[in-house]
Amino acid sequence: MSNRMHDKGEHYLTTPKAEPFLERLIFNNRAIILFGFLILTLFLGYNAVKIKPDASFERMIPLEHPYIVNMLEHRDDLGNLGNFVRVAVAAKDGDIFDPQYMDTLKQITDEMFYLDGVDRSGLKSLWTPNVRWVEVTEQGFQGGEVIPDGYDGSPASLENLRQNVLRSNQVGRLVADNFKSTIVYAPLYETNPETGEPLDYAAFSRQLEEKIRAKYEGQNPNVEIHIVGFAKKVGDLIEGIGSIAWFAGITIVLTTLLLYGYSRCIAGTLVPVFSSIVAVFWQLGALRLLGYGLDPYSVLVPFLVFAIGISHGVQVVNAMALEAAKGFDPITAARLAFRALYIPGMLALISDAFGFLTLLFIQIDVIKDLAVAAGLGVAIVIVTNLVLHPLIMSYIGITKGGVRHVQNHGEKQDRKWRIMSYFSHPGVAPISLLIALLGLGLGLYYKQDLKVGDLDQGAPELRPDSVYNKDNAFIIDNYSTSADILVVMVETPVEQCTQYNVLRAMDSLQWELQNTPGVQSTASLADVSKTVTKALNEGNWKWYEISRNQTIINASIREAPPGLINTDCSLTPVLVFLEDHKAETLQTVVAEVEDFAAQNSNEEHNFLLATGNAGVEAATNEVISSAKNMMLLFVYGVVSVLCFVTFRSIRAVLCIVVPLGLTSILCEAIMAVSGIGIKVATLPVIALGVGIGVDYGIYIYSKLEKFLLEGKTLQEAYFETLRSTGKAVIFTGVTLGLGVVTWIFSPIKFQADMGFLLFFMFLWNMVGAIWLLPALARFLLRPERMVAKARSAK
Amino acid sequence: MATRVTCKALGAACFGLSMALSAPAAFALADVIETPARETSLAPSQLLTDAATAGDRIIAVGERGHIIVSDDEGANWSQGQVPVSVTLTGVDFPTANEGWVVGHSGVVLHSDDRGDTWSVQLTGIGAAKLAIEGKEARAEALEARIAEAPEEEKGDLEWALDDLLFSLDNLRADLDIGPVNPLLDVWFENDQHGFVVGAYGMILRTRDGGETWQDWSGQLENPTGFHLNAITRITGGALVIVGEAGQIHVSVDNGETWELRTSPYEGSLFGVISTGQVNEILAFGLRGNILLSTDLGKSWKFVPNDAKATLNDGAVAEDGRITLVGNGGAVLVSGNGAESFREHFRSERAGVMSVVPVSDTDILIVGEDGVHRTDARGRDL
Repeated sequence: MSNRMHDKGEHYLTTPKAEPFLERLIFNNRAIILFGFLILTLFLGYNAVKIKPDASFERMIPLEHPYIVNMLEHRDDLGNLGNFVRVAVAAKDGDIFDPQYMDTLKQITDEMFYLDGVDRSGLKSLWTPNVRWVEVTEQGFQGGEVIPDGYDGSPASLENLRQNVLRSNQVGRLVADNFKSTIVYAPLYETNPETGEPLDYAAFSRQLEEKIRAKYEGQNPNVEIHIVGFAKKVGDLIEGIGSIAWFAGITIVLTTLLLYGYSRCIAGTLVPVFSSIVAVFWQLGALRLLGYGLDPYSVLVPFLVFAIGISHGVQVVNAMALEAAKGFDPITAARLAFRALYIPGMLALISDAFGFLTLLFIQIDVIKDLAVAAGLGVAIVIVTNLVLHPLIMSYIGITKGGVRHVQNHGEKQDRKWRIMSYFSHPGVAPISLLIALLGLGLGLYYKQDLKVGDLDQGAPELRPDSVYNKDNAFIIDNYSTSADILVVMVETPVEQCTQYNVLRAMDSLQWELQNTPGVQSTASLADVSKTVTKALNEGNWKWYEISRNQTIINASIREAPPGLINTDCSLTPVLVFLEDHKAETLQTVVAEVEDFAAQNSNEEHNFLLATGNAGVEAATNEVISSAKNMMLLFVYGVVSVLCFVTFRSIRAVLCIVVPLGLTSILCEAIMAVSGIGIKVATLPVIALGVGIGVDYGIYIYSKLEKFLLEGKTLQEAYFETLRSTGKAVIFTGVTLGLGVVTWIFSPIKFQADMGFLLFFMFLWNMVGAIWLLPALARFLLRPERMVAKARSAK
Repeated sequence: MATRVTCKALGAACFGLSMALSAPAAFALADVIETPARETSLAPSQLLTDAATAGDRIIAVGERGHIIVSDDEGANWSQGQVPVSVTLTGVDFPTANEGWVVGHSGVVLHSDDRGDTWSVQLTGIGAAKLAIEGKEARAEALEARIAEAPEEEKGDLEWALDDLLFSLDNLRADLDIGPVNPLLDVWFENDQHGFVVGAYGMILRTRDGGETWQDWSGQLENPTGFHLNAITRITGGALVIVGEAGQIHVSVDNGETWELRTSPYEGSLFGVISTGQVNEILAFGLRGNILLSTDLGKSWKFVPNDAKATLNDGAVAEDGRITLVGNGGAVLVSGNGAESFREHFRSERAGVMSVVPVSDTDILIVGEDGVHRTDARGRDL
């Protein structure tokens, strides 16, 4: 085992004098360790398979933000105010006053009645008895069901129906403004009152697709069905997680092909892929054992783990092939490869992990989970791809083809590197820097438009052109409704929530808000009271006011919808319907409410923000904008410190970190230009991109420094660097890019956004390392001094 | 937050505490009658309940103390400065400059600058005190009469006294709460003399431009205290008040004394207008009931129509065309002096509360969704 020649240079970072202890431990007990891996893989693999999708709403929101604290504290008070589905049944030709249409609507109503999870008493459609028309008469009120007595689908009874609909006050609510569609409204139980089981959103959503949409659109070609509601959205999200399996398959195939192209060795292709898949199984299994489910964010981590595993595996293959080319047998080649790689590999992986762990500073559970999952994954990659992989290879060895491929260091290859080494040329480097400065300028310019939050209409989690969002747009266009709701909670002493002063204060807040840009309309108990007081006074609009007489108020809210008063009458909400959920809109409205609350909250009525989707988004936006700079500071702090510790030179740190910074700025500019906001999903992208991207710089710089210390000129040293590591760096960039690029096709919008941005970050960081690093080195490094310093250190 | 936690801990004891805290002293916001109406561009699109003309100007009133004025037949509106933010219910301008507005919390507002700025002349507190004083005086007088009356008349008088005392109790209880009851309409003869009418039989009269008011409810035969919904002067000079339960009161002596007419209808009447012909009264209300009298209300006939919508107000254009407006977007037009009406419904079916003819072909309507200029049939222009 003479390996003195390898100890010379190859082990720049460590320079071990003999076989390290770890190497002996692993390679002297190969069978036992492999057996251990097998058992562990079976155990964790079993757990990995059983991991459940989990689109838990709470994990996606900042639980420590005061708005969310208020929301969770009052969650039971507001009941399932927001948990319902609306099924709009639209007539393609003609209008709803059509016998076939009404028949289909009746069947859909009946079918909905029997769906598991529907609160049957609250089900509403033109066909349910709780939808009535009311008219004031000389004797009092007169009313009836909207479907006329003895309805038989005849023109006369349809005319009767039309009359009833018009006086039912349901136009804009259950009946579209254009009379071409109506809604079946179904409130849902969070937990089944009979079995006590929580509502299975995925199953419920599937039932809606199968038993309602597919069935009745097939049965009556003249109807079109649109379904919206939180349950449907969550169902679609969970469905979306499922499609990730396809992306995993595609990624594995693409990576395998790429790897074969790189190594030209079957074993050198399949073993890293296998080891990386093992890493994924371990990671998933460990997550399940730690009590995590797979949410739409953490489901992406296995892709990163796989890609990182491959990129490190390829180093092992490369090193073994080099050793094998020198004539070593598989086991010696594997040992030498291990010895050469385990310390730099571990360093790179640990820097990745630190990058991820900076995400822990963001007080949103999914992001923290993402940090944990990714950190865990990287730790596992250290074991699988730095230990398991060389162990397996020590039995198999690199094929002859693979060895030949490595030996084939022809002139042709070198010419490519020779050209690229001009990046460090004194004539080319200034041009590169100018281009980089131009890019920086453009990036800074476009980055100004970068917004916080979700920018698209509808459900931001799903794509704008998804079925759900099209359904949503249909309902917003045809009914008097908004999808963006901010709820202000008004706390009162027990049994005091309907007091005149409370209603009056809510009414004042509502009027302030209606006069605030971005607010479409508002609703509260105050409106119910005014409307019913008017109705009780024979429908005379002159009585549209909150009465000071508590007896009249009490009478007016007797039939108030549940959710507007909690059980002990100590909480009542003000619903604010917004025009959109852009960050500016949310900020303006929230500021208005906070201002009002500061002036008017007292013992009688305490105004609390916030719930509703817009309330949650406002809180999330606040957390994200304040976390963003902190996170950037930490990520760059961590990688800078790591680089400094490794290379003991500020100049080195600058060479490595400046290209990363440029990429980050360009990434933000791209976000601004393509309408992607800073949100839960995109915030981690920069941390992940920088954390992983720094590896390229470390590889390149460590080689470059080594060759400079050998006394080579900068361009010569850079040429040697590219010859030895350029191919691996480019390969790594492409592998990582491939690992995330498939997400772009995800039905879940934020996964697509993440995929797109990470793809850019991974590739561009690689370009930055190869192109910009040497240019910076031309201006920053002083090779003569470095050599002198190294000599004096000896 | 702290109070809430303590409240949980203290349980029932807290209920008493919170009752104490909800005493009027704890008002965070000023009372609605002390809160000026917010200046807002939304006013012309919110609920408006009545409209009137003052020379070339049109004035409309509505919820949250909104008073809007237009000098170009409704093309552009500006908002008057109003010291209250209650729902306003009626407006009348006897002259081009002087006008009065009434509303909830019993407010009477006055403007002497064509509606640009307004001041409070009376609130429900003052109105209720006047009504209580008036009723107390009448009760005293009645007691005196009972004491002197022959035995056979005593029974009836005692019934009347009971009614009076009962309504007094109600008024006092209401006053304990505050200015509870709304005024619903206003009519002024000139810048001195006028009436306001409202809920539970409230009617007040002024002869000094609103400086002082007198309770006038004793002059109307309304012992149950039914709401008085509208007041107007008809061609020929008689005054007419209509209200709940088909009430029709007529005065031929400029409001000094009033006579209850026998009504052919027991439901509520919300509006009354002149047809333009001497001594003709057109009253209307619930479910599209339209009553026409050509003899100062001595005899009535129903004007048939199929609208079946509650009618709120009406107006006669210069060419004699009569327009009635009502709930559900009803716009009824008569070209033959209220012999018959043609019904139209506005497409969005929002309630219409009042109408002002602005040309031979156009009308301005106000209601549930603000003000609109429309053609004669209520179709948006």
